[in-house]
Formats: sequence, structure tokens, C-alpha cells
Amino acid sequence: MNEPLNRLLKIIEQESWGYHPAGPQSAEPVAFACLALCANAMASEALPLASWLAEIQSPVGSVGVTGEQETPAWPTSLALLAWLACDHASGNEDFDAARQQAVDWALDARGKAAPQQAHIGHDTTLLGWSWAAATHSWLEPTCLFVLALKAVGQSEHPRTREGVRLIIDRQLELGGCNFGNTKVLGQATLPHVQSTGLAMLTVAAEPSTDPRILRSLEYLGRELSKKTATASLCFALLGLTAHGRRPAHAAELLKHALAREVEYGPSCYKLALLTLAGTMDLSWPLAQIPRQLSAL
Amino acid sequence: MKQNRPQPISRDPTCEEMQRPSRRAVLALGGTALACAAGSKAVRWATAPRAEVFVAKNQKYDRGCDLEKTIQDGLLSCGYQRQQFSGKRVLLKPNLVEPCRDIPHMTTHPAIIIAASEVFRRWGATVRVGEAPGHVRDTEMALIESGVGEALRDAGLTFADLNYEQVGWRRNRGRFSPLRGIYFPQNVLEADYVVSLPKLKTHHWVGLTCSMKNLYGVLPGIKYGWPKNVLHHNGIPHTVADINATLPNTLAIVDGIDCMEGDGPILGSLKRMELLLVGSNLPAVDATAARIIGLHAERISYLQLAADRLGPIADDRIEQRGESWQNVTSPFQILDEVHLRHLRTTPDGPLVS
Repeated sequence: MNEPLNRLLKIIEQESWGYHPAGPQSAEPVAFACLALCANAMASEALPLASWLAEIQSPVGSVGVTGEQETPAWPTSLALLAWLACDHASGNEDFDAARQQAVDWALDARGKAAPQQAHIGHDTTLLGWSWAAATHSWLEPTCLFVLALKAVGQSEHPRTREGVRLIIDRQLELGGCNFGNTKVLGQATLPHVQSTGLAMLTVAAEPSTDPRILRSLEYLGRELSKKTATASLCFALLGLTAHGRRPAHAAELLKHALAREVEYGPSCYKLALLTLAGTMDLSWPLAQIPRQLSAL
Repeated sequence: MKQNRPQPISRDPTCEEMQRPSRRAVLALGGTALACAAGSKAVRWATAPRAEVFVAKNQKYDRGCDLEKTIQDGLLSCGYQRQQFSGKRVLLKPNLVEPCRDIPHMTTHPAIIIAASEVFRRWGATVRVGEAPGHVRDTEMALIESGVGEALRDAGLTFADLNYEQVGWRRNRGRFSPLRGIYFPQNVLEADYVVSLPKLKTHHWVGLTCSMKNLYGVLPGIKYGWPKNVLHHNGIPHTVADINATLPNTLAIVDGIDCMEGDGPILGSLKRMELLLVGSNLPAVDATAARIIGLHAERISYLQLAADRLGPIADDRIEQRGESWQNVTSPFQILDEVHLRHLRTTPDGPLVS
């Protein structure tokens, strides 16, 4: 058994299901832990996590950020992925109803679009998903919902397609993604590893030939080092792996990151990401990706 | 700080006065009115909120410069006493909005954080450093890129990731925006004092970011997003004022040593000022900072809202300690944008595009 997985199992058993060891039980860490366990053929261990996500699902189908906070509900996307992975791994349909409700909610949820403005570089008219209700569409929640909708067979849904366009539109000219903007008042924004990694994972099976995607992948390749923070490293590796560009020293980087986490107190969130990033099988997020990974 | 403003004194004129005012009556009335107006103004001036702001020059980040002493002197000269922090929980809130190792003048320098923590620790407080970076979900990345993580480890200080903590709701005491309440992280709710440790910077939307705007960073991303777009949609100046109105017991220690001008708060240029500001009233501190960098404090939107409700921003209501701001002023470049030009006190000063 690999070390992050082993540690993840222990921390799950202790019911420390947060972003930090003492943090509140939160949907995103739980969903990623569920995905990590399913990717390692541990469906029975994943089941309580998927069930917890179903327990906190609201009557309208959304899943809030923590066990106590029903809003905002962007983790609905990750719960969808977790339920799908769990049912796929167990061969059951335990979460079929929860999934359907969540899909309906996701397709109804809309980030705010806005008329194009001269001082903003990205296409503000594109409709994606927001972090919080009644706010603008942002890159990362849009990535998460696009991943989820693709996984449940809604790849060609107009919302999914528009979400993909939004993700590509938000690539920086020189590569990489900011948390959302591309230019503000004429100035290009800064690229970030985590958001770029997630975006690259999301568009991995897309036929787009936009040159910025290649530049974003090159940016990720350049940025990774032993100093890269754990979550950023994991998302970058997921993105690069999905494009067949997993760096040769990926295992070394992950080992270094794990050692750092262990020193300062690992969390469910980080251990789940480390487990996933160490897994070559990315069938959990995208139906389309395994075809590419099989060539690795 | 709330004010019971004295109402202007008036009386109804008599019928006779209304029909045929004599010259004497006119003079008497005029004199009375003038006296009343002057008296009213004097009462308003005397009862209006006042605050002290301490400014220190020739400050540096290196160990040769005793930042701890400067901060301690600043706090004492603003009326604080060391005993009042004994046994209290102090949360230091630096600005780590979107750290990048190539732009160190974007974020609060670690030396300021460590020096402030040492002062409060010496005074018997339990000190914690907390931040909810507004533009990055990976808080560890923010700590690495800013150099703050390493400094905190070396100093044995605990960091609270305010983006992902348990949250609690508090009624919005400002009501400048339509928000009925505000969610705060546990470490903010439990703190006896929240110390804003901003970097002095221009801001491409509101002109200035200093101690008040820095408190956007105590709100949890898990509730408000990355960026905290809920706040933007409810008005940046209004929500800045709301957060400041709702948080009890705040004070400010401003990193004005290496500052940012031009396209702040992220992509601007380095402006070396070698200043440190301390104050117990954040609007007063920010108004002083605005004057130092060549902006009209009275025209900055969130200071307009805060004025007299949250604290004084008028120069004659702020008692300067240490250096006078007039002696250290040096206009910052600002973007050549319509919404910023009118903020400048030096209309012929530098603009950048």
C-alpha cells in the first residue's frame, strides 16, 4: 500500500475530513478522498464518504461546502464525481438518485455573465459556474462542473460546451491561468499552478487546437519543483498526466511533498490529492481521459 | 465609533419680526445665528471622533533597524498600554492576496509580521497570524511565495488558514451594503484584537489599499469565493466599510517600507518609502496613508463612507504622532484612468498606463 493512501485511510478513520486536521468536515476533501480510494479499488472504504456527501445534499440537489454550511454549493460538482466513482467501483447504483438531483441542480446553476467591458480581458458574456450564488462565472468552479458533467455523460450539453469555451478563453496569452481574469485594465494577470493544472485536466480530451493550451502545459512543466506547494503540485500533475506529459520526476516531487505534509500535520484534503496525483489511472474524472493515459 | 451629532440650534421668529424686522433685530438675529452656528461647529468639532496616528520614517526590514521598538513606540504613543494585551488573543492579519516571489512589494514583509508578533508576545498576548488569501486557493503556496511561511516557522508562530475554517455569522453592523450579515472564521471571532498589517499600495479600482481594505482578507473564501466576488457584487467600498464596522477591536500596523505604486494591488511597481504607520483607528490611519501617497482621503470611496461613523478622516481630527505626514509625503504614480485621476492631490503628478 502506498504511503499517502495509508495515511489517508488513517485520517479518514479518525473522522478528520477537512482541509486541515482540525478543520470542519468539508465536502471537497471528502469527495477527493472518495475519488482517491475508488481509484485504488477501495470502494467499501469510500462508501461512508460518499454516503456523508449524500446526507448533506440539500433537498434541491446541491451539496454545500461543509457539513454545516449549505452554501455556497460548488462542491456539488465534486460530490457528483465521488458518487459516480463509488457506484462504478462497487458495481451498485447506491447514489443514482443523488446524482440525478445533483445534475439537475448543476445544469440550473449559473454564474453571472456580464456585457463585455473594455477594461476586462476575458469574455464576460460566457456562462459558466460561480463560487457563490449570484456572482460571476469563474475558472475553477467551471472546471469542476465541466468535469462532473462530462463524467455523467453530459459532455455535449450546451452548458458543458460553453463551460469549455470559458476555460479556454481564460488561458493567458503566454500560458497558464490566473484564478479567473486574463487582463485587467490592459495588464495581463499572473498565472497560477493550481488553477492551470485543474484547467488542463478539464480540457484534456477536448479537440481544441488553441496554442495557449500548449503554453499552459509548458508553464506547468517549468513551474514544478520541490518548492511547489502540495495542492498546486497535485493539480499540476493531474493536468500534465491527462495530457501525457507527466514529468519523469513526479514521484520524487510527490514524495517530497508528502514528507513536508507529514512534518506539519497532514490533512484529508492534501492526502487525498497526493494519493490521486500518485495514481496513473484517471478514469475517475473523465470518461475520455483513460484512452490517452493508456498510452503512458 | 458612533456619533450623536448635535443638531443646529434654531427658533421660530415672532410675528413682529416676520412682518418688519428692524436693523437691530436683523443684526441681533444675524449675530445670534452666527454665534449659534459657530457654537454648533465648535460643539461638533469638540465632540467629533479624533484619533492618533503614528508615523515613523527611515524604517528598514533588516535586523539593524529595530522594527519592534518602532511598533512598540507607535502603539504606546497611540494610547495603548501593554497591560491591556496581557492574556489576550491577538490575530495578526498580513496582506498575502496573491503572493509572487518576483513581486515582494505586493505582500506584507515577514519582518513586519515577526516584529509585531514579538511586541504583542512580550506584552503577554497569545499571537496567531491569519490570512484568507483572496486570489489563490492554495494557501500553502501563498505562504511559500511570500516567504511568510518560513518566517513563521522560524519564529514558532501559528498560522491560521482563514479560508477554510469553521465560520460564524454576525449581523452586519455597518449596513453600508445590502448584506444582512457577514461570515467570519473562527480565529477572527475568537480574537480579542485583530491587527491589520497591510502593505501600503495603490489600488486600481478604489485608489488606495491599506488597513481597511486589507480586512477583506479575514473573510473566508469557502463562503465568499476566490476572488471574494460576493463582496464585489455588493460594492467594494460598501463592503470594506461593513467589515470594518462589524469587527470589534481592530488596530493597524502598516508596512510602508517597500510600497507599491501604479497598477496596484498586484502588478504595480516598487516605491520605496521606508515608513511604518501605527494607529488604533483604521479610517484615520488610511486617511493619513492616502495623504502621504498624494491622494485626497476625502475622495476615496470607502473612507467617505467611514468618515465620522467609523472614525475621523479629516486632517484636523487626526493627531499625528512621530513624524508629521507632511514631512514624508511622496506622491505615488497612479493609473491614468478616469475613476482614479480625481483622487490625486497633485493633478500634474505622474500617471502610468
